Amino acid sequence: MTDEELVRRSKEDDERAFGELVSRYESKVYSLALRMIRNPEDAEDVLQDTFLRAYRGIKSFQGASTFSTWIYRITANSALMRLRKKQLPTVSIEDSDERETPVNIADWTPGPVEQLLSRELQHEMDEAIEALPPEFRQVFVLRDMEEMSNAEVAEILDLSVAAVKSRLHRARLKVRNRLAGYFSDSAKPKRRAMGAH
Amino acid sequence: MLTCKEVLESLSDYLDADMKEDIVNEMKRHIGACSDCRAEFDTLTMTIKLYKHEQNNPSAMPVGCHDRLVKVLEIEKMRSKGGDPPKMV
Repeated sequence: MTDEELVRRSKEDDERAFGELVSRYESKVYSLALRMIRNPEDAEDVLQDTFLRAYRGIKSFQGASTFSTWIYRITANSALMRLRKKQLPTVSIEDSDERETPVNIADWTPGPVEQLLSRELQHEMDEAIEALPPEFRQVFVLRDMEEMSNAEVAEILDLSVAAVKSRLHRARLKVRNRLAGYFSDSAKPKRRAMGAH
Repeated sequence: MLTCKEVLESLSDYLDADMKEDIVNEMKRHIGACSDCRAEFDTLTMTIKLYKHEQNNPSAMPVGCHDRLVKVLEIEKMRSKGGDPPKMV
């Protein structure tokens, strides 16, 4: 049965139809929430909040977008509200327009990904993503983690495609700059050790 | 002829193959000739590879998560119908 049919039946108080929508989307909603909020307890709260809002709002859902877009929009908004509460005092994205490019970008890219990925680097990446302003993190997660298109993300977040592309680029640069700092710091002892010989 | 600033601002579109072919060719030429922009391109490319590699397996829902969600929705259904919510176990 299609999502559209399940939505139609849910509007007519068919509890099993809404249950089927929950079964279809709960893992995706949880995954999206966890990637945005990066805490399992909060992600579960977002999951419950999302489906409660969907249950309450299904009768007024007009079907202008697909059910999946609608449910991801509720998820993204719920996660954003939680992130904003946690990140007080908030830094608006307009205020966070620091220089995106460090003065010196040393090339730390030779070698396969697997060789670079240490536990320490994974921790650094987690911290870099957690440090993204919430509005950037929404776009970053939907585009680069969930691998949605610019148009899909724009529809979910009610943004222009140009705004999605701009936020994604700035988010990527922020993560890259953090990793550049990590590689620069981790290279220093080696350089000193090499210089000593 | 693209400036370094224009190249840096367009790196994500270039990486996502989201630009016109003539600009792609200009980007290629510039990145090939400019070591600073090449380092920017290489490090941004590697950053994306690293986090996609690390984060490509999202965690599964925790044990009991589905049941708790069903319970929350049952309580909401009872409330919306004016009945007593079921007791939480």
